[in-house]
Amino acid sequence: MPDSQYDLVIIGSGPAGSTTARFAAQQGLKVLLVDKRQELGAPIQCSGAVSRHALEEVGITPDAEFIHEPIYGFGIYNEKGDSTVIDYRRLKADEYGPEEGKKPLGYVVDRRRFDRYLMTQAERAGVEVWLKTEGLSYKPGSNGSCEVFLRRFNQEITVNARVLVGADGLQSQVGKWAGLRTHIKITELASCLQFIVDQVETEGLLEIITGHEWAPGGYAWVFPKGYGYAEIGLGVIPTMTDRNAQWHLDRFIHHSFFKERFKNSRILEIQGGGVPLASPLRTQYADNLILVGDAARHVNPITGGGIHTALSGGYIAGNFLAGFLNQGKAPTAQNLEGYQNCWLEELGNKMWKLYEVKTEIFRKNDLAERDIQLYQTMASYFSPDSEYKKI
Amino acid sequence: MSNKEPVIFTIGWNACINCGACVAICPQEAGFISAFDTIAVDRPCDIACLLCEDICPVSTISHSPANLTSFAR
Ligand SMILES: Cc1cc2nc3c(=O)[nH]c(=O)nc-3n(C[C@H](O)[C@H](O)[C@H](O)COP(=O)(O)OP(=O)(O)OC[C@H]3O[C@@H](n4cnc5c(N)ncnc54)[C@H](O)[C@@H]3O)c2cc1C
Ligand code: SF4
Repeated sequence: MPDSQYDLVIIGSGPAGSTTARFAAQQGLKVLLVDKRQELGAPIQCSGAVSRHALEEVGITPDAEFIHEPIYGFGIYNEKGDSTVIDYRRLKADEYGPEEGKKPLGYVVDRRRFDRYLMTQAERAGVEVWLKTEGLSYKPGSNGSCEVFLRRFNQEITVNARVLVGADGLQSQVGKWAGLRTHIKITELASCLQFIVDQVETEGLLEIITGHEWAPGGYAWVFPKGYGYAEIGLGVIPTMTDRNAQWHLDRFIHHSFFKERFKNSRILEIQGGGVPLASPLRTQYADNLILVGDAARHVNPITGGGIHTALSGGYIAGNFLAGFLNQGKAPTAQNLEGYQNCWLEELGNKMWKLYEVKTEIFRKNDLAERDIQLYQTMASYFSPDSEYKKI
Repeated sequence: MSNKEPVIFTIGWNACINCGACVAICPQEAGFISAFDTIAVDRPCDIACLLCEDICPVSTISHSPANLTSFAR
């Protein structure tokens, strides 16, 4: 069956997988992208905030198909409600704004539509996409390629790939197939819950509320969601509280300094997930295999944001693999280390630095001191002159 | 890690929001997953670290000793 021979088989069509696929296919690779879902992005496990330059960097034009609402800046709060507002409509008034000729800083996207859009772009670049197809396992062979075992609409299918890309998100199993050390510590996985609500006003800002009082180990957020809706959510580190995220979110809504603002809120959707506030994986490659996106823990450990890093990681992976395979190199673990080195240089080293900043804050035993540091770090992270603007 | 007694997990599906956090934290080997993308509920867990219960945002995972549970239905 010559048709079952691919250069790349990619497990998972989130932002990381579809971006890897698109760039690889554009450079002539034969790519199969599979996802076990029937509707990409659903059920939603994400708030959808992403910067405009993160999209443009990987050739995605902001499109009404997936945008809930444009964003112009940030409001960072401490536990008492004091805030630092970083509104680019004021800071750089000639560049940012809703008016003709000006632009937004970023967007809140609908992950269902966004992931579908990214997949469509990959498909148009020549990628073959199979939905309702689950990756089950893989087996490296002696001829330089590997067998990938899939189940598609109940049918077991085996395909051959030169490289298998694990872009299967936070719940990644692909790394485990290869025996990579993918385990996340409970002290570094935030348990998150969010409500899409009606009757809560927002002003085009991503609002982030720090403080152990409201979200131990993480933070709470209020994001604009379009159509006059908002999203209220938070993430907590389980070892820092005896209560669950649901309890903390209820308390935040009904007892925080925002209780008046939230008083008439009505819940329209309920979503959640885990966010790794962890370091990237130390080893993101094996024989015939690499990991990208959440699967490799390519997540910003300060903000928990992972869309930008998934897109950039996909860009790096797709380009690397195209260059690599087009040169006819053997996809051994040793050779594929080049991918990780590329990634570290362009992105990863900065993420390691952020991880150290984050670890330093949570190493403090004094909660008040920790609160102050987290608030200051968040405020400076989003300021126009932050050294970390790129991720 | 594994000097604990094996357990079998039960998920209250009514509260589960399909967030996948339990699978993300689970140190089990690949494939310890249910058809609904949560941790497996049809076989015993011999690690019994119970981290999935800690991470669940809506606390809808519970467990009982595996040897008391009958799999034969
Ligand atoms: C509550 C919450 C809020 C968040 N908010 C933000 C935010 O505002 N901004 C931001 O930048 N990031 C945010 N994140 C993080 C962001 O969602 C992730 O970092 C991002 O989705 C990672 O993209 P990915 O492509 O690596 O993985 P995913 O988007 O998780 O995609 C993985 C894909 O793989 C598929 N898959 C998994 N296993 C298999 C298999 N065996 N076979 C076939 N397919 C498989 C899944 O169905 C899925 O489609 C948030 C996360 C959470 C939990
Ligand atoms: S962590 Fe809880 S809510 Fe999330 S998928 Fe698992 S059981 Fe369901």
